[in-house]
Amino acid sequence: MLEINNVTKQFDGVLAVNSLSLMIEPGCIYGLLGPNGAGKTTTIRMIMGIIEPDEGEIKVFDEPFSEKVRERIGYLPEERGLYRKMKVLDHLVFLAEIKGVPSKVASKRAVEWVRRLELAGWEDKSVESLSKGMQQKMQFISTVLHDPRLVILDEPFTGLDPLNTQLLKDIIVEMKKEGRTVVLSTHLMDQVEKLCERICLINKGSKVLEGKLADIKMEFSQNVIQLRFVGEREQLERHPGVQQVSDFGQELSITLEPDTDPNDVLSHAIRHGRVERFELGEMSLHDIFIAKVREGGGEVDDEDAQSRQA
Amino acid sequence: MKMLRVARREYLERVRKKTFLIGTILGPVLMGAAILVPGLIFELSPEKQKSVAVIDSTGSIFKEFSEALSDTLESGTPLFKLRNVQFTQEDMDVTRRSLAMEVESDVIDGYIVIPKDIVEEGSATFYGKRVGDVKSLERIESALSTAVSARRLSGEGMDYGQIRRLLRNVELETIQLHKGEERKGEFLLVYFTTFIFIMMLYFTILFWGVAVMRSIVEEKNNRVIEVLLSSLRSFDLMGGKILGVGSVGLTQYAIWAAFALSLSFYGLSTGMLNQYVTFSWVTIVFFVVYYVLGFMFYSTIFASIGSVCNTDQEAQQLQVPVSMCLVFTLIIPMAILRSPDGSFATVVSMIPFFTPIVMFMRINILMPPIWQVALSIAILLGSIYISGMLAAKIFRIGILMYGKRPSLPEILKWLRRAKT
Repeated sequence: MLEINNVTKQFDGVLAVNSLSLMIEPGCIYGLLGPNGAGKTTTIRMIMGIIEPDEGEIKVFDEPFSEKVRERIGYLPEERGLYRKMKVLDHLVFLAEIKGVPSKVASKRAVEWVRRLELAGWEDKSVESLSKGMQQKMQFISTVLHDPRLVILDEPFTGLDPLNTQLLKDIIVEMKKEGRTVVLSTHLMDQVEKLCERICLINKGSKVLEGKLADIKMEFSQNVIQLRFVGEREQLERHPGVQQVSDFGQELSITLEPDTDPNDVLSHAIRHGRVERFELGEMSLHDIFIAKVREGGGEVDDEDAQSRQA
Repeated sequence: MKMLRVARREYLERVRKKTFLIGTILGPVLMGAAILVPGLIFELSPEKQKSVAVIDSTGSIFKEFSEALSDTLESGTPLFKLRNVQFTQEDMDVTRRSLAMEVESDVIDGYIVIPKDIVEEGSATFYGKRVGDVKSLERIESALSTAVSARRLSGEGMDYGQIRRLLRNVELETIQLHKGEERKGEFLLVYFTTFIFIMMLYFTILFWGVAVMRSIVEEKNNRVIEVLLSSLRSFDLMGGKILGVGSVGLTQYAIWAAFALSLSFYGLSTGMLNQYVTFSWVTIVFFVVYYVLGFMFYSTIFASIGSVCNTDQEAQQLQVPVSMCLVFTLIIPMAILRSPDGSFATVVSMIPFFTPIVMFMRINILMPPIWQVALSIAILLGSIYISGMLAAKIFRIGILMYGKRPSLPEILKWLRRAKT
């Protein structure tokens, strides 16, 4: 479906994507995850043919890039943008037309989608009269209006309230059932955990980890404890079997060294405080990401990445 | 095909705007005012009687002078109201000061000091507030010359009546030869019409070219650009914009033309219109040709400027040198008029930046050899192709750059690297 081979892209001497290879099978929901500035958007822009890779090649639908190929991809960019003065329906039809859809078909489909995403009644209003969330939904409609087989969504949930987030998630699942391939790119790794079958974690332009989500979870599941604890956190960190403690405010997520008995850590915790909740659990994707980056001797500098993006 | 979709959207969105309607109506009004008002003032101003005081130090030449200055207004009253100022040599300064006061308070339009030795030296001085009224001053000068010549001749012993007959002015009538036909008195009209058309070319090329630039900056700012570029080649996007905006300009012309035609059919102002405007279908055809080519050439340049800028202000600054090229063509018409088939006019009309306006002007004034017209169009087409290709490259890279504006060396680097 989508094949990326050793793709590299530099901007002014900064490596945005560093010989990245990906293979995405048809009909799945694929998560492209990583912190801001990891190279996700650059990768997607190269898939869409907006920028060209310096090295490597990209094949979509087993074909090299062409206009026809692009007409079968739907792309929701991270930077949303619409013509503010245009009418909603006219705008949607225009965006479908430049994807090669005849205007009659486009307008029929647009009306259906507008209803489905609860925008009915706004067809003849100008885009600027829509709220931010409505514009988001409108932008999503424009992504799928040309009936694409591959849908690439870059940070699709930013700016959506929980209800609309759920609406969008339902549609994504449905698209998968229809046999479409969906690529979700986001820095909010935990938000898409439940959606994705396969994921790829990237950092600083390079692949950190790739595979089936279930396998990855399995691999990292044994050595994490969720703990609600009243007491001194430092005492927990002193236990030799504890690799890392992440504080989520209400709860702590403790990553253990391999071959550590979680019960050892529990009794250690009880000795130094009060345990209100203890659960042997999965590591969150975020923690897996950090663990993998540390393992590879790399630094995790979300902040640095964020400021570069801004 | 997709280029046409972009063009259609651009076209419809612009034509539906209220500002288009307003611009279409106000455009000719403002342009007409800018062109006609100075012309009308120039035409109308001699209609007012001029009152001029004369300090005649010779004490005797006033009579001949006032007889020579016998122009009348249409109503038959004399154009110049002359007053022979009485003075003595002692209070000369006082007299002049009081005359200056009269000029200042618009009682008189000016005063002339005729020195004693005018017959020998042949010079006098006019003092006035409005020394720009060239027509009147020329009349005064020639009347004084006549008077002085008469005085010199009578010094040689000739009879005054005889002298007046001999010194009668000659009027030069101008007739332009056009394809062997005589066109009496029309050439001023031709210049005037040409000037109107040139102003229209200038305004519309600049206005719509800048419109392309601004719309690109706007799309960059509201980030529509990324959605568009995921569906379109940057070349289609740029081309579509140029086509769409250019068609809006043509539509505006069509509206104006229809308006003008219906006016002249109506007969309402045909007389008035023909007085100021004269043109043939050749003019119209070349006007459209040079508008289309000129707009396409300039708008590709404006488009590349827009693609490397992030704000309107930035773009406005960068486009100044380009606009200056257009302004230049407005400065040189006099030089072209003086010698429409000279080497300066020929060379300038072959430089693509100036071709649209200068070549159009030459065609109107004095049809150049057909090969020159063909060559200018060929050069312009070639330039559009080259600037289009360069612009597409700059556009392709510049359009997704936010933040710092690229420097010229950086742009040159892109040009070498980028494929369209």
